[in-house]
Amino acid sequence: MNAAPAIAPLTLLFASIFTSNILLANFLGMCSFIAISKDMNSSNGLGMAVTVVLVITAAINWLVLHYILVPLGLEFLQYIVFIMVIAAAVQILEMVIDRVSQSLYMTLGIFLPLITVNCAVLGVVLFMQIRNYTFVQALTFGLGSGLGWWLAIMLLAAMRRKIDKAPVPAGLQGPGITMITIGMMAMAFIGFSGMLKVQ
Amino acid sequence: MDLAFFIAPLAVSGISAALAAVISISDKILNNYGDVEININKGKKSVTVKGGAPLLMTLSEQGIFIPSACGGRGSCGACKVKVDSDIGPHLPTETPYLTKAELAQNMHLACQVKLKAGIDIDIPESLFNVRQYEGLVEKIVDVTHDIKEVLIKLPEGASVSFTSGQYGQIEVPSYDKIKEPTQRAYSMSSAAGKKGYLEFLVRLVPGGIVTSYVHQYLKEGQTMRVIAPFGEFMVRDTDATMVCVAGGSGMAPFKSIFQDRIDRGVMDERDIWYFFGARTKKDLFYLDWLEELQSSYKRFHFVAALSEPQPEDEWSGETGLITDVLGKYLTETMPKGDVREGYLCGSPGMLDACMNVMRKFGMTDDKIFFDKFA
Amino acid sequence: MKMSPEYVKAQANMQAGVITSDGFLGDDHRNITDIIEQDEELMTSVGLDWDEVVSRMRHLMKEGRKGLGEPVTVEGKWIVQVSEARGFLASPFEDGIYRKVNAEVQLAAEGKPTGDRLYFSELSLHLLEKHHFLQGHGSPFRLEPVVIRKVLDY
Repeated sequence: MNAAPAIAPLTLLFASIFTSNILLANFLGMCSFIAISKDMNSSNGLGMAVTVVLVITAAINWLVLHYILVPLGLEFLQYIVFIMVIAAAVQILEMVIDRVSQSLYMTLGIFLPLITVNCAVLGVVLFMQIRNYTFVQALTFGLGSGLGWWLAIMLLAAMRRKIDKAPVPAGLQGPGITMITIGMMAMAFIGFSGMLKVQ
Repeated sequence: MDLAFFIAPLAVSGISAALAAVISISDKILNNYGDVEININKGKKSVTVKGGAPLLMTLSEQGIFIPSACGGRGSCGACKVKVDSDIGPHLPTETPYLTKAELAQNMHLACQVKLKAGIDIDIPESLFNVRQYEGLVEKIVDVTHDIKEVLIKLPEGASVSFTSGQYGQIEVPSYDKIKEPTQRAYSMSSAAGKKGYLEFLVRLVPGGIVTSYVHQYLKEGQTMRVIAPFGEFMVRDTDATMVCVAGGSGMAPFKSIFQDRIDRGVMDERDIWYFFGARTKKDLFYLDWLEELQSSYKRFHFVAALSEPQPEDEWSGETGLITDVLGKYLTETMPKGDVREGYLCGSPGMLDACMNVMRKFGMTDDKIFFDKFA
Repeated sequence: MKMSPEYVKAQANMQAGVITSDGFLGDDHRNITDIIEQDEELMTSVGLDWDEVVSRMRHLMKEGRKGLGEPVTVEGKWIVQVSEARGFLASPFEDGIYRKVNAEVQLAAEGKPTGDRLYFSELSLHLLEKHHFLQGHGSPFRLEPVVIRKVLDY
């Protein structure tokens, strides 16, 4: 196995939020990004939920990968096992949200269980595996990716609030202008590229 | 054979089992709300219950019944309660049924409030009198082609103390395509003094869940759950002339009111004018009884009006819309100068139209009463 | 096509026995989004404007209610009979509750009702207006665009 990249966890944290934003640089996690960014409160709630899921699953999957799959020579099972852990984590998160804030639970609706198939989550876990991060690196990468996703969805939600009141041409209203906006945000974030390394 | 064939499935099963265990434990911890205290009417009554269920169900298990026309499914808006403690923002399932004023007063739908912690609520005093009864259907009588009179015998020793004019909720079980029991509200047509029994008039509404069951499936000898009494429609204790208007099954509360006055011997104490509107003669019922009341009690007057009398009806009574007949009597026939109270029971359209007529001829809104559960 | 959660909920509420005894879907087993899409095409092909249709139907119901259950002749062209029952019906889209007011509209020929009848309620009007939902084939309150066009005399 290759060695872990020599990147300080703190650097990795900022890198995954800005330079390699999971949403705007890697384009992972788009469906709920576009759907929920209509409303700022639910964007906030979903961003928080995705961050929590990312941290937990990065941690657990790292442990499962290095202490169960690798020693037993079962790396080929990683896709199945990673998804199972993600699904379980999201289930538990759903129960927690229902308990703590029922209105958030109802507002997020189906997008809460959809976090399970949010490609950003599986993407982060697989990046962690491919890049051979250490445990601490995996944790900070997960946290950073989550914060980056949260940041991106809050930015888009804020912009959509403004766009709603702007005179958008009929053909571009809704998905059209949203996609264009996301593209421009992505281009803006390219300005960060090269500053910090993730691998 | 490669050992991986055995280890791989074992590993996956082991991991899934571990995850399932974690989920199970979390479920027990997170969804167990423990015991919560419901404080009603600032300490007048307080119950400690297991949390987690909706307020409406929990209260009914404790014997406190909030009116509900849909059995807690969140589709009627009847179960409004005032919540005095902070239970968070209104849910999207509640807001369609609450006016701005109600939202500001922190009214919630009891069927949508999940009991997670102690809660303080404020409910009308009259609701403490409401009980649930497992009654027995003793008699079903066809009074017209689309109205059935259902007599329910209450369990031994049970009785409902209600005021004539109030209504009860009857529940029908799941049947045909209807997968769950359904409750609907009906005015009680039996007099308040008739102990041990409750009677209802049920009119068949095409496509109606409860009325279809009552007309097509209900048999004498079946049990039927009744929750009563509810409502604020009742006779005000004054000397004013009572102007009563009903259509179809709207007769029910008046049957109860008049019989009650007869039983208490006060039928002669006020002028009562009872207007009953229908389409043709076959839609009229209790004619003999009402005509007998008219001849026995000087101050009771019964006016039936048919809007579409058929030739075979040989109708010699009033014809036309009930509102027109009402207007005629208010101005020409009834004695002038007396104070009049209006009592209305019927469909929303009929209520609006009659209220307009009453207002036009000098009756004031504060003296016109009708059943609001419609 | 996958439906959004609001439509999934609405479809579940439209089943027989949930809100009304017969439900809103009749014998139609398609997704409501497909039903709505097809009906939107039908309405355009028949040349009808949704808002126009709703406002005319609403006007007919309003005039019909004055009859208190009796048939009423409106503008000399239509015979409308409106029946009411007490209580409320919830919209399957969970966006409001509506009185149980049913209107039956037919064209008048020499004072008598003739031809197809248009049968709608306050709730079905709301579904038509806000959701472009004409109900599934076989539902007692199904509104066929061709029939709408004929009866409303366009």
